[in-house]
Amino acid sequence: MATSGIITNIQRCSTEDGPGIRTTVFLKGCPMSCKWCHNIETIDPNAILVWYAVKCIGDQGCVRACPEGALELTPEGLMIDRDKCVVCGTCEDTCPTGAVKVMGKVWSSDDLVQELLRDKVFFETSNGGVTLSGGEATYQPAFAIDVAKGLQNEGVHVALDTCGYCSEKVLRDFLPHVDMILYDLKVMDPERHKEYTGVPLDTILVNARVIAESNKRVWIRTPIIPEHTDDEENIRAIARFILETMPMVERYDLLAFNRMCIDKYALFDLEYPLKDYDLVTEEHMEYLAQIARDEGLKNVVWSGMTKNSETKDKTDDQEVKTCG
Amino acid sequence: MTIEERRAPLIKIWSPSKVLSQRVQKLREHFYSFNDREETNEPYAFTTGTEWDEVYSVHDWANEPALYPFVPSIDQTLKAMAVKVDLPEGYWNQGLAKRRAVFFHEVMTRYMPTIILDGELIVGFNFNTALSRSLNKSETKVRNKEMDAYFREASRLNEKGFGTASSVGGHLIPNYAKVMKIGMKGLVDEYRELLRSDLTSKHREFVESLIISCETARDVGLRYSKKANELAAKEQDSKRKEELQKIAKILERVPWEAPNTFWEALQSLWIVHMLVMAAESYPGAGLSHGRWDQYMHPFYKKDIDEGRLTREEAKELLHCYWIKHNYVYDYQARLGINQGINSSFGQLITLSGCGPNGEDMTNDLTRLTLEVIEEMNMFEPKPNIRLHRNTPQDFLIRVAEIVSKAQGSPFLMNFDEHSIEGMVWQGVPREDAWDYGIVGCLENTMQGNDRSDTVDVNINLVKAVELALNDGKDAASGEQFGPKTGDPTSFTTFDEFMVAIKAQLKAHVELMVKVGNMADTVRAKYQPVPYLSALMDDCASNGKDVNEGGTTWNFNTMEGMGIATLADSVAAVKKMVFDEKRLTMQELLAAIELNYEGYEETRQLLRSKAPKFGNDDDYVDEIARDLSVFWAEEVFKHNNPVTGRRYRAGYLSWNYYVPLAPLTSATPDGRRRGEFLSGGVGAVQGMDSMGPTASIRSVGKLDLKTVPNGASHTITISPSMVQTPEHIEKLAALLRAYNEVGGTALQINVIDAETLRDAQRNPDAYSNLMVRVTGYNAFFTQVGRELQEEIITRTEHSL
Repeated sequence: MATSGIITNIQRCSTEDGPGIRTTVFLKGCPMSCKWCHNIETIDPNAILVWYAVKCIGDQGCVRACPEGALELTPEGLMIDRDKCVVCGTCEDTCPTGAVKVMGKVWSSDDLVQELLRDKVFFETSNGGVTLSGGEATYQPAFAIDVAKGLQNEGVHVALDTCGYCSEKVLRDFLPHVDMILYDLKVMDPERHKEYTGVPLDTILVNARVIAESNKRVWIRTPIIPEHTDDEENIRAIARFILETMPMVERYDLLAFNRMCIDKYALFDLEYPLKDYDLVTEEHMEYLAQIARDEGLKNVVWSGMTKNSETKDKTDDQEVKTCG
Repeated sequence: MTIEERRAPLIKIWSPSKVLSQRVQKLREHFYSFNDREETNEPYAFTTGTEWDEVYSVHDWANEPALYPFVPSIDQTLKAMAVKVDLPEGYWNQGLAKRRAVFFHEVMTRYMPTIILDGELIVGFNFNTALSRSLNKSETKVRNKEMDAYFREASRLNEKGFGTASSVGGHLIPNYAKVMKIGMKGLVDEYRELLRSDLTSKHREFVESLIISCETARDVGLRYSKKANELAAKEQDSKRKEELQKIAKILERVPWEAPNTFWEALQSLWIVHMLVMAAESYPGAGLSHGRWDQYMHPFYKKDIDEGRLTREEAKELLHCYWIKHNYVYDYQARLGINQGINSSFGQLITLSGCGPNGEDMTNDLTRLTLEVIEEMNMFEPKPNIRLHRNTPQDFLIRVAEIVSKAQGSPFLMNFDEHSIEGMVWQGVPREDAWDYGIVGCLENTMQGNDRSDTVDVNINLVKAVELALNDGKDAASGEQFGPKTGDPTSFTTFDEFMVAIKAQLKAHVELMVKVGNMADTVRAKYQPVPYLSALMDDCASNGKDVNEGGTTWNFNTMEGMGIATLADSVAAVKKMVFDEKRLTMQELLAAIELNYEGYEETRQLLRSKAPKFGNDDDYVDEIARDLSVFWAEEVFKHNNPVTGRRYRAGYLSWNYYVPLAPLTSATPDGRRRGEFLSGGVGAVQGMDSMGPTASIRSVGKLDLKTVPNGASHTITISPSMVQTPEHIEKLAALLRAYNEVGGTALQINVIDAETLRDAQRNPDAYSNLMVRVTGYNAFFTQVGRELQEEIITRTEHSL
């Protein structure tokens, strides 16, 4: 029996979510509430209606079509009465431009597997596959496991991208059906972890041990967020934890902070909490990577957007450079 | 153009490598110093001196829409500047082919300058010509009448945006490989042998004209040899003196004798090649070398093995050889430099590829050539790399590396398995098809025995929608071009609409064939090129010029333009009018008639909510496949009875999507009149949002074997996405997958929109920024603004 689940996006030809060319599935729902979250639309486990101002031509087709009377076009934009809105999608169907959109689509696991097989040839030539991400892939365990199973039956490599905050049972149910794990270790100080992510650290460390025993390929990832995770003590602590607890880890990724999600927050009438934070410098990324290497980690890679140097003042058009 | 650079570009683009020798750097600078240098390869015109003489044929150039208004002035200018050639007695008593051969011989051995540039190791400078058509008075009269009739029809098609029909030169691979084996003398031996058999007098005279042509190549070689000796005698620098003496010695032998060394082979090849351009009075466009790394490798290997040459010396020879090809651009250096794409000469070199049993044929010379390509960074010759299932991984990585490092695409990649299926589909035996080569941009043909006229006829496929929605009338003029397929509001099912589309496509193909045949016939009757025919298999034995269909394979390629716009339009009608009934046909027609003015909701609906080709969406991809196979099979039903040339389909849409844009009415995909059509087999610009893998799969679904010419597919990726070895490996994997599920030819541009925007703002700082558009390199700052915008807005696929 196919299960069903809700996802926000299928990203094909992804080169940043594990080995090879991959298709990444963003599952909806996340138990954490990281201050720097880049995928705000994936936190809520339910579908949600959004409105893109730049696409709207003001024809008000959506307003007329809404069976609940939940929409109103005002000089400030489209007002969505979220108490009335049942996310039925009628407005989305009506809208000629795609300005109103339901974030979160329900898929059956069978259909999703079929869709994900489209790039199978690319997976094969690149040793890539599918990455289940989110949100948090373990948040819809039955569905995500069914998808993973379905893909493995077709010979597709499956990676689980997880924050590690799930019950040990869910994780143990998941592990036989994935080929590798992309595991986040964000902050090693328990208090700061709770403060920044909203959840306690210990579950994540316990699950890390479960993963370490699983004989799966593991890559560890740390988002480098200015003033949150970018201090050398944090990186050193993560590196030591990996060496002691998960010596089989293949690679450690440091992912540089960026602010490209500011517009996405605006869709939900929210402001990105870190909107005033600066990009990390290339030198600092390299410095942190070196700390991890000095601790004894073999394969440390940093990537993402950086700014050129520390001397520059904060301006809107800083030169950005991507690496990795 | 200002010489001062106001500021340096952000990225150093398309500059030569520092490893180039002083000699090569100097030669490279010579080419780029067009405005200052004394030597020029601008076309020289030569006439028989008769009052009726013609030195220009409009059908040679009529595939270029922008040229039509300038044809009379070019024609007259060339005529006015033509130098009279003294002709031997009895000249006018000979047949046309012989007259052409003799005229060519006289010009190349007595009138053309022989320039040897300081420092060059491979010589042969002037080859751009406008040669007399050598017709007598009565021939001229009939020819001009037929030419006028053809050009009237061609102009009508061009003006209304239906397409272009022409018969252009180049775009083929002469049998250079054979010349490398037996020399021009070897060809003459064969032709003399043929003369011993029982031939008609006409056939005999034709073969004699081939012999004269081969001797022309010999005599040009000897002329340059003499010149080199003269220069050597005067030369003060002892090292250069020695070089000139060596050059003189080499040219005493080649191209007449078969070359013995790598240097001789390169020198021979250059003379033989440049003379084809001279003989056709057609500069380089598409005149291609074929599998150059295969037939040149034995010379390279022998010299290296026997210690005659070091790898570095070989490379310097290659550098010198490389530069020579670029002087074709002198043809238009003083004019037309801002007329859209200005670098469209495409002398292709095919590299790598598979052998008869699918084995890989990459060799040392292939790899050395990749270094030369990287180091030279020049327009010509344009390399195409054949990739296939057994391409070695290290070679593939190397290819991906070069793609990722270059600004713009350093070469196109052709994919053997799909290309070969096309050749087999059109009738080439499978045991021969593996040895195909590439001409022009990406067009697949056989080598040494195939004139498939790959850009002669170009059809605007999108017109089928316009005609089907207007009962066969051109929307702007109301002129009846296609059959009356009925009032579209009377269609009750999608199938009825599709029947109308296909009827219009079929009739449009017939119309293009009719005018294409007129051009092909005029050329066949009045423009033999015996020198080229001598280099093409079977012309001698058939007693027919290459332009009469004398060689083994004679196709006439019809290139389809706008397949994605067509498919998207038909899909939009299916979905919105018939499946979901969100629009009536009346509403759609009204919106299109007003170019969507006042119909923004309708336009948005069609644009945003109807499926678009290039996203791996089966709904529209199936329509695209159906229409692609339909028109391609229609094309294949036709031929020109005069030349026997059979039509085949292709998707090289060059830059036609620009001039055709204002000539094509608004379309049901939400496109307004004036917005570009899709190019090649790519998506409508900005409409492919699912990334490269989806784009590749959509193209793969077109069943491109029915399009044996091959299909142009461009993917633009950002440089930041291919910076690490890990990402280059992923790019290589993408290429391997393309071979399985993609099309026949792929071009990858690694360039970011930011760089291009900056170049628009600061053209002087980016005067050397090259981009590649459908296989053509162009200086970005010199292409028209519209094309610049098109290049920028093309979806940047992030890989």
